[in-house]
Amino acid sequence: MALYINKNYNKEEQLWMINIAGEIDIYTANQLKETLMKMLDEHNENIKINCLELDYIDSTGLGVLIGALKRLKKENKSIIIINPKKNISKLLTITGLNKIFIIEGE
Amino acid sequence: MMENTKCIEKVEKKVCDHFSISVPNKPEYVNVVRLTTSAIASRMGFNIEQIEDIKVAIAEACTNAIKHGLCNHNQNFDINFFIDDEKIIIDVIDKGTGFASNEIEKPDLTSPKEGGLGIFIIQSLMDKVEIVSEIGKGTRLQMIKYLGDDI
Repeated sequence: MALYINKNYNKEEQLWMINIAGEIDIYTANQLKETLMKMLDEHNENIKINCLELDYIDSTGLGVLIGALKRLKKENKSIIIINPKKNISKLLTITGLNKIFIIEGE
Repeated sequence: MMENTKCIEKVEKKVCDHFSISVPNKPEYVNVVRLTTSAIASRMGFNIEQIEDIKVAIAEACTNAIKHGLCNHNQNFDINFFIDDEKIIIDVIDKGTGFASNEIEKPDLTSPKEGGLGIFIIQSLMDKVEIVSEIGKGTRLQMIKYLGDDI
């Protein structure tokens, strides 16, 4: 039960690229929140999240992403989720969040 | 004689098994509950997708119990599993602060909120969900998933 986050800012595209691996739940959600908030403090730019190795996300984790998106939306920026696993796609669809995040590579 | 034995077997199968655990009110144990629940559901013969649904639902229920439950970390909350041929019933009972269970609403996507998704997710993934919550006394969340094709 762990969460690994790898972040990288692409200056040319003005875009954050992050890889998230492992599980986001009530135990690890704070780690994601702190990372995202720090990133947005540095550059309030679009975030592309690669979920290829993300096995699980719960409502707490989705809440953190919504919080970050709210901050980005103020400047018309967005969150792009790429390569979500089937179980994660299902959760995004159920909650309707697939309509507010940009999803690629499903 | 043979028929008699068969008859007894049939009756025994209908009796539901009861499995219960008491869980510390701490985030690090949610994962343990998920794995335990997964093992029970798998033993019952649920398919992989159903097991995944049940795992997500129980994790959300635990998260709720911890978040809205007592702030006292030394308290436990209880989970009861009732297992029979047709279904699994899971009760998650906390003695926490409780909440107004009639105020659960569908997520509003025009102004998404950070919280309030958990119960909605449980309701989407399980066949039946019942919440009895009393402010100041605690919450009992009961969810049922039937074996066989999704309803």
